[in-house]
Amino acid sequence: MLELFLFVGLPYAATIVCIVGTVRRFKYDRYGITTLSSQFLEGKKMLWGSAPWHIGILTVFLGHFVAFLVPGVWQRLMAIPSLLTIAETLGMAASLICLVGLIVLIFRRATTARLQKTTKLADFIVALLLLGQIALGLMIAGGFRWGASWSTGTLAPYIWSLITLGPDISVIRDMPVIIQAHIVGAWLIVFIFPFTRLIHMITVPIHYLMRSPQKVVWTNPRRNASAVVARADQNSRRHFIKASLGLSAAGLLLSVGVLDKLGRFFQMPGLHHDEEADLLETRLRRLQLTAEEKQLELERLRSNEIYVSKLSDLNGSTGKYFIDYAMRPGLAFRSEDGWPMLLSAKCTHLGCTVGNQVDANGKILCPCHVSYFDVKTGLPNEGAPAKAPLDRIAWIVRDEQGAEIATESSRGSRTGRIDPQMAEYYSLYIVRSLSAEA
Amino acid sequence: MDIRAQVSMVFHLDKCIGCHTCSIACKNIWTDRPGAEYMWWNNVETKPGTGFPHRWEDQERYKGGWKLNGSKSLQLKSQSKLSGLLKLFYNPNQPGLEDYYEPWTYEYENLFDAPEGDDQPTARPVSQITGEEMKIEAGPNWDDDLSGSPVYAANDVNYDGLTPEERQQLFEIQRVAFMYLPRICNHCANPSCVASCPSGALYKRGEDGIVLINQDVCRGWRACVSACPYKKIYYNWVTGKSEKCILCYPRLETGQAPACFHSCVGRIRYLGVLLYDADRIETAMKTADPLLVEAQRDVICDPNDENVIASARANGISDEFLEAARKSPVYKYVVKWKLALPLHIEYRTMPMLFYVPPLLPVMGKDGDQPYDHADQTLFSSLDKARLSIKYMARLFSAGNEAVVTAALRKLMAVRYYKRMQDVGDVDDDNVRRIMREAGTTPEEAEEIYSLTAIPTVHKRYVLPPLQREEAIGSLCDVQDCKGSCGYIKQAGAGRK
Repeated sequence: MLELFLFVGLPYAATIVCIVGTVRRFKYDRYGITTLSSQFLEGKKMLWGSAPWHIGILTVFLGHFVAFLVPGVWQRLMAIPSLLTIAETLGMAASLICLVGLIVLIFRRATTARLQKTTKLADFIVALLLLGQIALGLMIAGGFRWGASWSTGTLAPYIWSLITLGPDISVIRDMPVIIQAHIVGAWLIVFIFPFTRLIHMITVPIHYLMRSPQKVVWTNPRRNASAVVARADQNSRRHFIKASLGLSAAGLLLSVGVLDKLGRFFQMPGLHHDEEADLLETRLRRLQLTAEEKQLELERLRSNEIYVSKLSDLNGSTGKYFIDYAMRPGLAFRSEDGWPMLLSAKCTHLGCTVGNQVDANGKILCPCHVSYFDVKTGLPNEGAPAKAPLDRIAWIVRDEQGAEIATESSRGSRTGRIDPQMAEYYSLYIVRSLSAEA
Repeated sequence: MDIRAQVSMVFHLDKCIGCHTCSIACKNIWTDRPGAEYMWWNNVETKPGTGFPHRWEDQERYKGGWKLNGSKSLQLKSQSKLSGLLKLFYNPNQPGLEDYYEPWTYEYENLFDAPEGDDQPTARPVSQITGEEMKIEAGPNWDDDLSGSPVYAANDVNYDGLTPEERQQLFEIQRVAFMYLPRICNHCANPSCVASCPSGALYKRGEDGIVLINQDVCRGWRACVSACPYKKIYYNWVTGKSEKCILCYPRLETGQAPACFHSCVGRIRYLGVLLYDADRIETAMKTADPLLVEAQRDVICDPNDENVIASARANGISDEFLEAARKSPVYKYVVKWKLALPLHIEYRTMPMLFYVPPLLPVMGKDGDQPYDHADQTLFSSLDKARLSIKYMARLFSAGNEAVVTAALRKLMAVRYYKRMQDVGDVDDDNVRRIMREAGTTPEEAEEIYSLTAIPTVHKRYVLPPLQREEAIGSLCDVQDCKGSCGYIKQAGAGRK
């Protein structure tokens, strides 16, 4: 219960109070927002307090910020040993520097009569919280030899779980008390932020780098009226300039593309003759392949039977590929009884070519989506992507004289008989249509 | 051409009697508040002297104003943009309380409440910061009338150009000469405080040139305190904000002269509109030191010029303002007569407060006579001046003695001319010759005399209508700010 309060309730409460309080302060008490600098009242010790404190704490804060907000990047950076060493040294040095600075500042405030007049209770609370926080941080860094990126896997997910509104304190729960205290301290600082001098943090005048040196304000509405017109003019001019810049850039790109094509057209391809030879060879090879394919197609159109293999060359473990009448791949096996088995090798799922190696279960594999087909029946296995069996292909076996020995139709009906002893003299053909069927 | 208007000022130093009435008037209205006790938006210094804060003219220490980068660009002496951010943590050039003084009051209650005893009750001084008893060791006018003093006057920064003999003679008791230098914010046309403000809280008003700090935007980074070479921006240690002279703009907006002007016993102060061309400021402020005074005069525009009027109207400057500019006593002193000179123009902020250099500490040295008009040259007293011209030039013309001499000669010529008329012991021909040499005419001399010696209040202060009714939205509510000077937070104050 306490854990839930400290690590979930407090963070949300602190964040809400911080945001609402800061907005409220900017809305109703802008006059009160200031650094409350005391250099005017005491300027000598100030140098040795304020400068180290601010430089140190900014460095430390930057390290925390990077590690929590982009833990991936931090982890990758800290994986480089040299960077890790630099980060650890820098972090340690910065915390020591800011600790020294803070102690000087507290000492200075405690011992200067003038400063005590300007010190409020809030300043005390801020100083104590910051001192405790830095001491705890140093104890963590010195006491746990975990490297510089342990927090990326533990605290960063915790913070992100808070940000994404799914608080997860499982990693925090088992942390050492020192770390838990450090976390609670951080939320307390967030909590008091809008009510103390800490608020000066968000007024850091970075915009000073960008602005022009002089600032002239006209309160006279007549001047403002003419200025508004001038500004509108300027705006429309700016829009016009932007639009024309955009258009001309687009035009430039377009014309570069067109001119490039035109140039090539007139200049001919500027290829080296070796490259040209390679290109030609590739083209030729492609033409040859096409020619072969057309040759096969013609053959299938002209003849009623196409030679596949000698019967004795077939076996039951490795199928032989051939092209069937539909110009699709087929596989030829020979079963133990000596009869040929011809199956379409086009997978019935999405048309890949099925492999030709028969496994121990008597199945062949379509490698695309893992369908196993039974060689004997052509049926796919249970649960395979392919649902339909592979087609059977009609065949005819002839002897050396061309006499018909045996046939099988695409439906599986057989005629004749095969003598395994005579396999050497038999040839296997696929047929467009068997006379028996016709 | 970008014409802006400036409510600017002339202080006639010959008339200043060093009474500090202006300082008190200002203090009573504006800085009699916690955190502001040590501030003197208006103060009067004795010159030669160290000034307030201590040695404020020592820019090697305080780094105020601009410096020339070769002849190419102007850069703040105190910071670059980047170093400005670093100096947020600690500003090495910021004057501390010890450079001003620790403000104090007296335990007046003790005079009434002390128990009966052998001694008279006394009112001991107590610090206005800690409330504890203190020993008073410094004050805002600690070197008042102490020009011969080796403790104070010897520290004057403007001696740097003087020879040891010239310095020595300033400390001989019979020959001691001094002048008063009342100082308020110069409301510069090229303000280094505005350029230095990291928060962008400082701004110059276009219509009247008043430089102000937006108290809601100020975050107390204190860069302006260092950057102002005149040290006329003060840090309020209670509110944590910086404050400065506001030229009593709430008074100006209701048709009254600023409090320090209004209360001036010697009637040394003149207030009037100057028109200046903002486009030419940068070029002018980049000229070499001896030419700076003339360069600034060039930036100030003739209010009768048609182009100037047209450009001013385009900027929304009203006809009433332009009318005031045509009647401006400041324009006459600064541009027409070239009598009034800026203070330390070498800081290159283009100050818009001008001083007529005093003749009295220069003259009045020849024997028993105030000035020896038996001498044929008549101007001889200038060469043997008690307060050397070199010193005056360090103050008013970035070292160019010709500029100061010209102004002093004209002032002398006017005096001879009036003496000729009223006393009649000076020779007519001599007076005519000396007026010729001083570059003036009897008509001009009459005009100078009339505006210097017998002006009415409306001739000294030609106040333009600031048309507050048109800009009322830019100010805080009258009821909210009542009794607060606009500075102290009260219940409901600042809420809009």
